[in-house]
Amino acid sequence: MGATLRLPTPLRATVGGQTIVPIEASDLGALPAAIAARYPDLAARVLRDGAFGSFITVFVDGEDARYLDPTTPLASAKVELLPAMSGG
Amino acid sequence: MATAPAAATGSTASTRPGTPESAGTRSALRGLRCRACGVLQPADERYVCSECLGPIEPEYDLASFDTGALRLGIERGPRSLWRYAALLPIADPPAHAAVGWTPLLAAPRLGTALGIGRLYLKDDTRNPTLSFKDRPVAIALARALELGLDTIACASTGNLAGAVAAAAARSGLRAFVFVPESTEPGKIASAAAYGAQVVRVRGTYDQVNRLCGRLADEHGWGFVNFTLRPYYAEGSKTLLFECAEQLGWALPHHVVVPVGSGALLTRTATAVAQLRATGLVNGEHCHIHAAQPAGCAPVSDAVLDNWRAVAPVRAPATIARSLAIGAPADGDGSVGVIRESHGSAASVSDDDIRDAISLLATAEGVFVEPAGGVVVATARELARRGVFHADETVVLYLTGNGHKQEPAVVSLRDVIAADADEFAVAYAEVL
Repeated sequence: MGATLRLPTPLRATVGGQTIVPIEASDLGALPAAIAARYPDLAARVLRDGAFGSFITVFVDGEDARYLDPTTPLASAKVELLPAMSGG
Repeated sequence: MATAPAAATGSTASTRPGTPESAGTRSALRGLRCRACGVLQPADERYVCSECLGPIEPEYDLASFDTGALRLGIERGPRSLWRYAALLPIADPPAHAAVGWTPLLAAPRLGTALGIGRLYLKDDTRNPTLSFKDRPVAIALARALELGLDTIACASTGNLAGAVAAAAARSGLRAFVFVPESTEPGKIASAAAYGAQVVRVRGTYDQVNRLCGRLADEHGWGFVNFTLRPYYAEGSKTLLFECAEQLGWALPHHVVVPVGSGALLTRTATAVAQLRATGLVNGEHCHIHAAQPAGCAPVSDAVLDNWRAVAPVRAPATIARSLAIGAPADGDGSVGVIRESHGSAASVSDDDIRDAISLLATAEGVFVEPAGGVVVATARELARRGVFHADETVVLYLTGNGHKQEPAVVSLRDVIAADADEFAVAYAEVL
């Protein structure tokens, strides 16, 4: 089974209203390019100069991508995008 | 249930913000503006920018205000944060407990100990659930009621859980509060006492927050610090509004702010800007300083490392658990605000925090949670660096009460018999 990309409500309109879509990227570093190639409307919302904007948080199998190496494989990963919000 | 604040009595839908009839009572909200791309959007159910997913914040028609009428409206308002209703994003404030309007205490004894000439404490430990979180929750709850929601929720490091639980109970709403498993038992107990579903989660606050981000999508609940965040964060402005009013409509020259998510610090700057724009204060300088524990200091570290971008902290380790947010949403925004205000920052050790809690309690009779100790210890460090001038006012934000958590900072002597001689022996060095 390939990797999946889960989107929050505000982004679903960019992929036809779907919550989870397939994504093919060999590793974390290749994820932005893979999104740009397959989901250009989504890319226009979440990417800035080929990288994720500062207001998007990316999780790979529950791990915050900021703590992961770009070579982290995504072959069957569950990737999730969330607006960057936190505050207790 | 819906009782307007006293000052709002008699106002009608036809009154405009800024008129003598409405100033200080009716919101001058224009919409929600994106801090990233600048687009102004309607104040509807959205919680992030529809264009770029950036953070959106309420914008007000500040130019419409007559300064004198606004000040009079505020001063005649309720003794709560709703006295600033004109500068809050709620059309009709609901009935409420007395949230806000907490005392600004002169602190000469602590000032002498820290080497600060004109020191004040904004004692926000006196809110209904003993922390400043009652303020943002009051605004978020009002918004939830406007939207007709039946359940509110939050990701919390502890204080927010109690504030959400109590506010939900007062309004007859369900509450789900999600906390890291390491949250102090006293804070969990208070949330449970108000009837909330307390969900303890393995992991850090940031992991709890991710879960809540997912659940916010799956349930139609009002997550106060997620789907209601544009409104929630506005409550944090009111500490500075109150400080300025309590100082005779003057800005403090320095404010030392504890930083978790950074929302309180960035909204302190928003409050300063709005007070200036409405003419309620003059152009005094107001330097905003960040206080963080060394075990989780992404903002202070960025400030002190030549204003670099914030680097998240994966595994916070500090006794100041209410500030243990490794990936603060308003982190970079905080760094920008501090720089623009010509402020500074410090990060302080757990030992410094414990000492500061004790110093504050013994010098001024105010008992705070570790976040308050972080603020006092930071003030000491800033004073040591010569940041404060003798004739400047310095305000410390004390945001959480020490009675909510286990008494880890108190060391007690052994129990004695009901015997005067034993007392004399045990306490000889202090008699």
